[in-house]
Amino acid sequence: MNYVIIGGSAAGVTAAETIRKQDKESSVTLISDEEFALYSRCLLTYFIAGTINEDKLYFKDKNFYKENDVKTYLGKKAVSIDRKKKSVSLEGGTKISYDKLLIATGATPKSVDIPGIEKKGVFTVRKIDDARAIINMLDSVKEIAVLGGGLIGLRDAYALRQRDKKVTVIVKSPQVLSQMVDMDAARVIASILEKNGIKIMTGVAAKEITGKGSVEGILLDNGERLACQLVVIGKGVKPNTEIASVAGLKVEDGIVVNEFLQTSDKDIFAAGDVAETYDIARESKRINALWPCAIEQGEVAALNMLGEKKTYDGSLSMNSVDFFGLASISMGITKPKEEKKYEIISRTGENSYKKFILKDNRIVGMVLVGDIRPAGVVSALIKNKIDVSSIKEKIVDDNFNYAKIMPVVKEFGDKFKQEEFRDTVLSFK
Amino acid sequence: MKTKDQKPKTKDIKIYCDITKCVGCRSCEIACAVEHSKSKDIFSAVREKPLPKKRVTTENIGAKIISLHCQHCEDAPCIKACMSGALSKDEKTGATLHDKEKCVGCWMCVMVCPFGAIVRDIENHIAVKCDLCPDRDEDYACVEACPTGALFTGTKEEFEKKIKGRKK
Repeated sequence: MNYVIIGGSAAGVTAAETIRKQDKESSVTLISDEEFALYSRCLLTYFIAGTINEDKLYFKDKNFYKENDVKTYLGKKAVSIDRKKKSVSLEGGTKISYDKLLIATGATPKSVDIPGIEKKGVFTVRKIDDARAIINMLDSVKEIAVLGGGLIGLRDAYALRQRDKKVTVIVKSPQVLSQMVDMDAARVIASILEKNGIKIMTGVAAKEITGKGSVEGILLDNGERLACQLVVIGKGVKPNTEIASVAGLKVEDGIVVNEFLQTSDKDIFAAGDVAETYDIARESKRINALWPCAIEQGEVAALNMLGEKKTYDGSLSMNSVDFFGLASISMGITKPKEEKKYEIISRTGENSYKKFILKDNRIVGMVLVGDIRPAGVVSALIKNKIDVSSIKEKIVDDNFNYAKIMPVVKEFGDKFKQEEFRDTVLSFK
Repeated sequence: MKTKDQKPKTKDIKIYCDITKCVGCRSCEIACAVEHSKSKDIFSAVREKPLPKKRVTTENIGAKIISLHCQHCEDAPCIKACMSGALSKDEKTGATLHDKEKCVGCWMCVMVCPFGAIVRDIENHIAVKCDLCPDRDEDYACVEACPTGALFTGTKEEFEKKIKGRKK
């Protein structure tokens, strides 16, 4: 068998590892358009902040490819797939034939369509080269503007503030993290950022990036001008579906896959930020471009490439951030559109905020700011779709923990997918 | 109670809590913190800065109590969520290992641990979890310290046998 994987990040590398664990004979080939391999993109903002050095960016051993006998084409972009001949073409003309192919091409940062975007000093943060370029510029930069007040924008701003730069975040919405949390939680998070010297401007957008060759400032849509020497666009990502759509695979928001992560071609699979999978909380298709989802999908796709019939349980949106010691976690549906269909249980403290979103007595989402201890236990209730009517009142309590759900574990034992749940209630009568 | 047994090193063996016997005395918590102190001596450990961190907690289930720690899940959600490569599986022993050098304190593991068994070490800004007492050759510190025999090291079959015997 010839297994070919396009993409060298979380999903692609996990797939290569999973295949090799079970099949020592077949050939496994991995193609990545980046030369620097096996690094974790999620760590790039820590790298920019100066918290870690390049050596700590690896999420696998440096010798991973060698040790797992994976043939690599690094720094080579896959440009097309010939489904009839079952081969992948690389830039420069090399052709690689496959029996089973995984598309794990990931995503690209969204840009903004404003004049001046091409100037020197405008960045997105997605690849190691972006991070290196930003770090190289830092000495000559005093003021930085970050466009976007979502998770990506705030993470970028937090990293740069740790380099003692004057950072301003420009947010189109009336609040930060508008897709993730409501106004109350956003206020708590924004206030810790501002207390630590990050300026947040809401309800405004950048109209133009000004300067001669390099960035000198930003013109805002309210007429204000902002001096800055570096602009970081942190506005989310879009999936790299082009190679799939050109090959005639079914693509909607992302590459459409079935429960086996198989695309509309039975020999081609997709995983990670490029794949549109079943979302557990929303019960519909969605791209959840997140590290844990990419790892899970890489594994499940690989098992199916190997011929096992392994069903993917589905993805779940989830995020964890920590700004200046204030931890926040969000999961599933956090801002339901039709509020009437949901039950909301929440509690606001001085520096903390908890919100649980329920539908038909099942938790489908949560937001925790400050105290994140209950997150994991609640994540199990969400993932396993557990009826929580008997413990509902307890979930906002300060001491809500695993023990509080044990009666439910006892009652619905089989609904919890991991065996370890049952181990904990063996003596619980 | 097994106290002087060799520390178990196979996949099938884990630490169980017999809920009918746990009285919530927190001896397991103290023993765990001491085991993870620099001195490994309780009188010196209480003066260490930062204070050593426990990796086991006693929690109430109504009137009952459980001593709970990392279950070293076979298919561990924390390992899949860890984006820095700090969490990994020891294929031989089945232990879920945490490398504090690689941990950046992103709390992705806290977010997905179904047992709430990974907590934040705020002073050092890293995650903390049960590491199965790597410095010990004898039984785990929490199990050894348990005065009621609620904590038990063994296979599932052995534990089931133990709790069946107790009912007669």
